[in-house]
Amino acid sequence: MESNLEIVDLGLLIKDKGILIFSDFHIGYEEALNKKGVLVPRFQFKGIIKRLTKIFLRLKKDKVKLKIIIINGDIKHEFGAISDQEWRETLKLLDFLAKHCKEIVLVKGNHDTILGPIAKKKKVSVVDYYFAEDVLITHGNKIPEKEIMKKAKIIIIGHEHPAVSLREDVRTEKFKCFLKGKWKNKKLIVMPSFCLATEGTDILRDRILSPFLKQKLNEFKVLIVADKIYDFGKVKNLL
Amino acid sequence: MIEVKEKPNTEKEIINVMNPLVKKWFFSRFKEFSLPQLYGIMEVHSRSNVLISAPTGATKTLTAFLSILNEFVDSAEKGILEDKIYCVYISPLKALNYDIEVNLNEPLKQIEEIAGKKFGIKVAVRTGDTTQSERSNMLKKPPHILITTPESLAILLSTIKFRELLRNIDWCIVDEIHALADNKRGVHLSLSMERLQRISQHICRVGLSATISPLEDVAKFLVGFENEKPRDCKIVNVQFIKKMDLKVLSPVPDLISTTHEDMQNAMYNLIDKLIQDHKTTLIFTNTRAATERVVDHLKESFPKNYSENIGAHHGSLSKTHRHDVENKLREGKLKVVVSSTSLELGIDIGYIDLVILLGSPKSVARALQRCGRSGHKLHDISKGRIIVLNRDDLVECAVLLKSAIEEKIDKIHIPKNCLDVLAQQIYGIAIAEKIHINELFSLIKNSYCFNDLKRADFREVIDYLCGRYTSLEDRHIYAKIWHDEETGMIGRRGKLARVTYMTNIGTIPDETFIVVKVGEQTIGKIDEAFLEKMKKGDVFVLGGSIYEFLYSKGMVAYVSSSVNRPPTIPSWVSESLPLSFDLALEIGRFRGYMEEKFLKKQNKEEIMKFINEYLYVDNNAANAIFSYFQEQYFYAEIPSIKKLLIESYSDDKIKYCVFHSLYGRRVNDVLSRAIAFAISRVQHRDVEIGISDNGFYIASEKGINSVKALKILKSDKLELVLNMAIDKTEVLKRRFRHCATRALMILRNYGGRKMGVGRQQVSSMILMSAVKRISTNFSILKEARREVLEDLMDIENAKLVLKQIEDKKIKIKQITTNIPSPFALNLVMQGHLDVMRMEDKMEFLRRMHQMTLAKIGLKHKME
Repeated sequence: MESNLEIVDLGLLIKDKGILIFSDFHIGYEEALNKKGVLVPRFQFKGIIKRLTKIFLRLKKDKVKLKIIIINGDIKHEFGAISDQEWRETLKLLDFLAKHCKEIVLVKGNHDTILGPIAKKKKVSVVDYYFAEDVLITHGNKIPEKEIMKKAKIIIIGHEHPAVSLREDVRTEKFKCFLKGKWKNKKLIVMPSFCLATEGTDILRDRILSPFLKQKLNEFKVLIVADKIYDFGKVKNLL
Repeated sequence: MIEVKEKPNTEKEIINVMNPLVKKWFFSRFKEFSLPQLYGIMEVHSRSNVLISAPTGATKTLTAFLSILNEFVDSAEKGILEDKIYCVYISPLKALNYDIEVNLNEPLKQIEEIAGKKFGIKVAVRTGDTTQSERSNMLKKPPHILITTPESLAILLSTIKFRELLRNIDWCIVDEIHALADNKRGVHLSLSMERLQRISQHICRVGLSATISPLEDVAKFLVGFENEKPRDCKIVNVQFIKKMDLKVLSPVPDLISTTHEDMQNAMYNLIDKLIQDHKTTLIFTNTRAATERVVDHLKESFPKNYSENIGAHHGSLSKTHRHDVENKLREGKLKVVVSSTSLELGIDIGYIDLVILLGSPKSVARALQRCGRSGHKLHDISKGRIIVLNRDDLVECAVLLKSAIEEKIDKIHIPKNCLDVLAQQIYGIAIAEKIHINELFSLIKNSYCFNDLKRADFREVIDYLCGRYTSLEDRHIYAKIWHDEETGMIGRRGKLARVTYMTNIGTIPDETFIVVKVGEQTIGKIDEAFLEKMKKGDVFVLGGSIYEFLYSKGMVAYVSSSVNRPPTIPSWVSESLPLSFDLALEIGRFRGYMEEKFLKKQNKEEIMKFINEYLYVDNNAANAIFSYFQEQYFYAEIPSIKKLLIESYSDDKIKYCVFHSLYGRRVNDVLSRAIAFAISRVQHRDVEIGISDNGFYIASEKGINSVKALKILKSDKLELVLNMAIDKTEVLKRRFRHCATRALMILRNYGGRKMGVGRQQVSSMILMSAVKRISTNFSILKEARREVLEDLMDIENAKLVLKQIEDKKIKIKQITTNIPSPFALNLVMQGHLDVMRMEDKMEFLRRMHQMTLAKIGLKHKME
């Protein structure tokens, strides 16, 4: 099954199923900052659409026929009151994605407590987790029940927003990355966030959030997402 | 017209205008008028703007207040003293306000005693600490003299009820103006004064300053402009009326071969001896951390001499602690007090008979201000001792002393056209009233700091405040003001405007302390500015122990405690104070003279004689200076004000290119970055730069042609180059945060919550990248770059240097050495490092990728 997976920029493609997975858009991140007193203008949405457009163009060139787009949690940022603007952008994003597939599946994330108008959208379904054969797609903020886990051979999560910082002397640069490793004999893939405001959690230094990753990460493989995918080998090489 | 008052008034002239009671009081306390009083009292009396520059203890404050008290008593006797504010007194320090109140209320009481009746003259302090009930009292019964800070004044000007009390004020006194003019607090105040003048048109401005230069510019800063001409102002210059006894001391005769430890011991022995030989000593260090260290060290090394009688005084200590130390000082209970900068200002601290400066104070004005704290009374002699720890410090302080004795004071830099401060003040104005855009523009241009503000820059700030950088539908979130294009009117927006303004006002960025950790264990805190200077592998002192710096992450610095090397970052040799440009040039001039002597083959005796005469130093010091220059002359060459020496040498793989550009760190910051930028543009690789006051170096693994790079640089293109060169630096990111908070793009206090500095920094990074997407010339980003180039660095003087190179007034000399020359040694060791990021993020990633692959490949082979 693993050879069937392909990283396409910040997305993950299950080739034979025509499934494309994204994670953690965090639409409305700016607004959350506004409420804290940081007057950041909205800039994410434009950037997200631009980056998605590039991805779809490439898939088209590769003659990939998309059936399902899965958003693996946290499409929007805010827990509490959500403004019209935030809903508008979320719906606009769903409309945009809908043009490129037949069906959209929203896997619930910890930020997706209120689904509001999304639930009424055509072509969109909301689930707690999703199986593509033995590939389990779940947000990653908690571990699903044993029964469910039993069926999975490969687990794909988001939530963590993994990134690594590369340093040389005093220079440090942070990059979004995929992590590939194991969770109890099963293969585990951690996807980077599609949130463009920040690169994410520096897995070499920051506090790790997901219960899937409360383990030694030294043997995990780091795949940095930039103009292409850069394989940096194992985490321990970067420490 | 700005003019220096040449002649003092006569005692008779002053007595003639004095109320008999005030006269009686004055001469019951003082024998005669002091010089500042003879010059100043009549000016204040006749309501002419005046700037009085005199050393501490020269009775400046009483000079300003005497005429005013005189009028109050006079009016009170005649029964015409109104219940209104006559005088606003502004001081940069809250503690000082308290001081002044005591100094004002005391004389008032004494005058009342003489008169045998009360006059009801009221003095009130209004700062951020003033309670709600005190505030409402002030509204009901306004004080005759209002004592406040620059920040509180701006708030009062936007408060509906209080604003009414600020109409028709007679006097506005700005104390300690030297502590305001060179920073954004002063810029902020300059606009507040214009706002005050708008409602009190005939106000008389009185400025009080310690030793400062150039007085004409400070006077213009004080009075501002009207109808595009500077308002009239008299300058009273009595800066040098106090006698000074200043000396440079070295703890050991040989500054070069003494170990770090021996040097420390010798230094503390010397300090102890000096303290014991005097009654009360004030020690200035250049940083807060060093202040603590000196106190600890003295207590530890001399437990018999120091226990309860030693105190520390600096800005991070609590208010109660500081007041406690000040009180003990006044009561004579302290033998010694150690301070960073907080005691530079004129708080009355009682009798001090010796000031010790640890390390160079880096500017003549600062040296005079600090040493002036001893012998507080006008006729006392100020006694100052500067302790130097290396030969560069020795030469620097010796030349500094010469300038001080010969009354050559270095010029300050007054920041101009600060768009962040402008945004904050426009918001304040809009909260107070509706105003036409043209009227607003001319109000702003009346400030000295905005006199040449471009209309386009002003418009950009207005557009920013109107939220015009966001889409129309979002604008309600971002707009602070409205601007009607048709009528030209401007006003505030939003119900929370006033609260937002009041709780976020000010120009001083939140202090950021970096937590220092060994593993997960916290061992202490260091200044953010200190961190900015550290590179991996640097060794520094904290809390008496030595640590090696590994890396930093956010607000945490990770260090290792297993290190056995001496500190590479000297702990108190001017961590943060840059050498002033004027003083740097004086040292360059001295170097030139010294070279001449050696070239003329003069013998040691002749040269020693010259040093002794030129520098006012003792034989030991002259000897050390002589051998330092002799070594440099024989080993390499002596650089000077007319000759820029560029020295190349290699160290294993790394090639160093040392520029002996003695222009101070602010200029060297600019030159080194520009050159590094030019080099790396061609070589496409990060190069390392190290910057100090005496020069800078550029290091790289490949050979580099720095001289060529220097020659490519043209003074008129410097700004363009630097804007690119600083684009990705840490310092720009941090300064952007400061600017964004000043411009109220990041609200530190919002919705009843206070945002931590770490949070501010993270937010400001997101904000910066968002703003860059809108325009690389977004007003607040532009201001951050201006602040870095003009205030933090010194691009103006750097241009001057380049121009002189272009005009061949400074010649360039290249040499190659095997090991760094004596002059280069300290520079290379102390240079504060930065890396020019020439590779873009992608190139960096690709190279790091190649390196990692190679590393992994190697590992596989080994296995």
